[in-house]
Amino acid sequence: MLQTSVAAAEHLGPPRARSAIARRIVLYVLLVAFALLFFTPFVWTIATSFKTLPDSAYFNLIPHPFTTEAWKSVWNDYDFKRYALNSLFLAITVTLLNLFLASLGGYAFARLRFPGREVLFLIILGTLMIPDQLRLIPVFVMLTNWHLIGNFSGYILINLVTAVNLFFMRQYFLTIPRDFEEAAKLDGAGYFKTYWRIMLPLAGPAIAALAILQFQGTWNDFFWPLILFGQGSEHMYTMQLGLAQLTFTYQSLWPQLMAGSIMAIAPILVIFLVFQRFFVSGVTAAGIKG
Amino acid sequence: MRRARAALAASVVLVLLTVVVASAADARSEKATVTTVTLSGWSAGKTEDDLLQSVVDDFNNTHPNIHVDYSVINGDYATAMTARFAAHNPPDVFYVDSSIAPTWIKQGVVQPLNAFIKKSKYDTSKFYPGLLNAFKVGKTYYGFPKDWSPLAVEINKAMFAKAGIKKAPRTWAELTADAQKLASSGAVPNGKPLCLPADWARMLAFVFQNNGSLAKVQSPAVAAAVNYYTGFFKRGLAATPTQLGVGWPGEALGKEKAAIIFEGNWVLPYMTSTFPQVGFGVGPMVKGKVNGNLGFTVSYSMAKDADNKQAAWTLLSYLTGKVGMTKWMSHGLALPSRTDVKAVGGRAPFLAAGPSSRGWGFPNFSATLTIMNNDLQAVIDGNKTTAQMLADVAASLKG
Amino acid sequence: MTSATETAPAPKRGSLFGTRMREAGWGYAFVLIPMAVFGLFFIYPLVYGVYISFFEWGILGKAAGATATTQNYTTLYHDPVFHRALRNTFEFALLVVPLEMALGLLVALVINAKIRGRAFFRSAFYFPSIASSAAITTIAIFILNPDGLLNRIIGSDQAWFGDSSTALYSVVGLNAWTTSGTVMLFYLAALQSIPTDVYEAAAVDGTGAWRTFWRITFPLLKPAHFFVLVVFGIGALKVFDQFYIVSQGTGGPEYSTLSAVFYIYQEAFKSANFGVGASAGVVLFVAIFLLTLLQRATVGRAEVG
Repeated sequence: MLQTSVAAAEHLGPPRARSAIARRIVLYVLLVAFALLFFTPFVWTIATSFKTLPDSAYFNLIPHPFTTEAWKSVWNDYDFKRYALNSLFLAITVTLLNLFLASLGGYAFARLRFPGREVLFLIILGTLMIPDQLRLIPVFVMLTNWHLIGNFSGYILINLVTAVNLFFMRQYFLTIPRDFEEAAKLDGAGYFKTYWRIMLPLAGPAIAALAILQFQGTWNDFFWPLILFGQGSEHMYTMQLGLAQLTFTYQSLWPQLMAGSIMAIAPILVIFLVFQRFFVSGVTAAGIKG
Repeated sequence: MRRARAALAASVVLVLLTVVVASAADARSEKATVTTVTLSGWSAGKTEDDLLQSVVDDFNNTHPNIHVDYSVINGDYATAMTARFAAHNPPDVFYVDSSIAPTWIKQGVVQPLNAFIKKSKYDTSKFYPGLLNAFKVGKTYYGFPKDWSPLAVEINKAMFAKAGIKKAPRTWAELTADAQKLASSGAVPNGKPLCLPADWARMLAFVFQNNGSLAKVQSPAVAAAVNYYTGFFKRGLAATPTQLGVGWPGEALGKEKAAIIFEGNWVLPYMTSTFPQVGFGVGPMVKGKVNGNLGFTVSYSMAKDADNKQAAWTLLSYLTGKVGMTKWMSHGLALPSRTDVKAVGGRAPFLAAGPSSRGWGFPNFSATLTIMNNDLQAVIDGNKTTAQMLADVAASLKG
Repeated sequence: MTSATETAPAPKRGSLFGTRMREAGWGYAFVLIPMAVFGLFFIYPLVYGVYISFFEWGILGKAAGATATTQNYTTLYHDPVFHRALRNTFEFALLVVPLEMALGLLVALVINAKIRGRAFFRSAFYFPSIASSAAITTIAIFILNPDGLLNRIIGSDQAWFGDSSTALYSVVGLNAWTTSGTVMLFYLAALQSIPTDVYEAAAVDGTGAWRTFWRITFPLLKPAHFFVLVVFGIGALKVFDQFYIVSQGTGGPEYSTLSAVFYIYQEAFKSANFGVGASAGVVLFVAIFLLTLLQRATVGRAEVG
């Protein structure tokens, strides 16, 4: 958007172009300053992971002495390999299930008509309003009675699809012009085929956003894993449960905690970098133009 | 598109596989003659967890018919336990903090132990009464304290030397005098002589030292103690941890932002591992009109819903018995709640408080503590009077 | 809005009904699993919560001899701590939601344009949202220490989280910082669905950047606005973690970081007062529900198809 108006402005000749360039420079400076602000905690996290415990109490960005003790301790004393695998498994499973169920349901709410649709949608919005603390006991008792505690299945079951994801997919589908579906209908495509072959591919950016967010949400989830399967043996721990071993009442093992946190953040960063290219403008636009 | 479909199919298969595998892994293979007892608590660090595991290993080796499964709850202990109580699936033996003991006992989730005590002739006289009472309702025992710590005085040796003070303060008068000397000699350039938190978990000890009690909150004795505590702030001799930019007074001592703090046995391993270069000393808690202190203690208790109560009792009595507790005390991470178990060296200032310590806890604990501490902060900031705070506290204690 | 079936040559009455039936059937099939999950794990607990809010309810169920009364609601009515919790929560939401919407949208717009290093900036702004809430809050406490980084830069010694007049606003800032990255993500995705020929037409007309944004982009984002407003508004009203960590579980200083969910949590899990906790939960739910209806009436209407 900025791009086209700037490009248009540049056609109009040198004086306009100079002020446009000046605006650009200001913009970049601001962006870089902001980016630094947002990146600082990451820098501090990395630095602390190379400090000794006494040194970690202070703010200096250069550790003295510089040591890899924390990283070794985290890797050897705690089974972070295992925790990472558990987290990875859960995050991938829950994300895939969510993407499928949320997009399918979102499509239905956006495009299909069925009696009670608006009421059901309000109910879905309603579920957003219920704090976890309120529903903990009934859900936990239910899952205990069904023997879904102490393993991953209870957790996956309650996270099959979330209201946020479904809501977002619905909103996104609402913005897609109906020409595509009408074309598909004329071709005789059924509802599932229309969803699978046409709507889903068009929802690339939304799917990408949800993939990132759901993966991250599951990866960072601490509360429900603790309650549902985090009170038994260590080999079921996720990354967050593993990290919780490094904090106690009067002390945290800061260097180990930071080293562990970096290990915890790395996969999410990777997922983000992989999926963010779907936010490039023009990808969907091309599809719509044609 | 085909790849996406394959991915979807793969994930469905994965889910199904997990449910099968996980449920199978969950099933334990039990030998017919061995009873399993589950033990749970929160974590105080890996060293402590490993130590408790070795105590448990000792027990398992000496009790071939019982196998103890020890697992740590690394998060919100109260919430996790409450959920399990509600689902009738709690651990068999577990920690109970003295502050939440009255609540859990009243809720009926803790097993009364009198029958077991009688049958196995368990000797309850060796425990400090103040600690034992925290887990007793009337004549019924609901748990035994596994360890404890009172408050003591910790000082920065270098700062004291600079101010020309020979030893840690022993009385209220000495405390006031020392604080003033530290301030006037500029011995604490980066902070204040005292780091006092806006927390009744510290101030209540002073109330006891002035012969006050929570039974009669709105009394001159309590008010005077409160005013003594908050008086340090008004005279610029104390600051709260937040004002000093630290998380708790121990950190203030470590970062040399305070010369005097009041903390328990837990501050010793903290200082030696996090701030090894700071020379600090420990003295017994100050005395007001009388000696008064808080006993922060945790019990081993049994669940009402425990599967095999006899086996659970065997474990419980072992852990709180002389043998089990001796091993637990071997690293000096906590103090023995039994008089017949020795603590590691250097703990005399804490142990001296045994007779004058009252278990930490009171009616309607959680809601009252919130009011206590928020109001105390307001009193320190000058936004509320002591009388108003005591009125709020008295009302909340009634529930 | 019309559908394909209505603009096609009129079919016989019977088959139109049949088509509608088929469409409804598929609709129900597609939403079956989601509704089952929501019903079991959200609606049932809510109904259960409403039920127990009328009783004295403990960990193991109804207290002995308890009868249905509105006592719990009366308790709430007379509890100044609950009132303060509600007030804090609404004040927090009122401040943080516009802030993170504006920040998220602004960043999304800028990044959506063709600037160099887009990927870098995208990652940078999203970064605070990646780390878990607890980790980031701990880092923020460190940075906002009286002698921490922020104060060093602006030359102050204010105890941001330790002063009752600034604590709540500091959490507003912290929360906006950690969630605007997520808002950015949603807006970025939504911006992709706006075809570029719309912008080209505006450029040809000579419309300036601001007008293009305000008259064209902003209105076209209405479904996204509704989504962000509802989801993040509700999220703000349910705030717990950051308040809890920042105040070390006290809700202070001087009650300034007590949130509604903290109250529920304390009553239920620390005091084993599930009846009161449930009634507080119901009150919060009703408040959020009414607010959402209001949002739907104002922003949500336009896009329903």
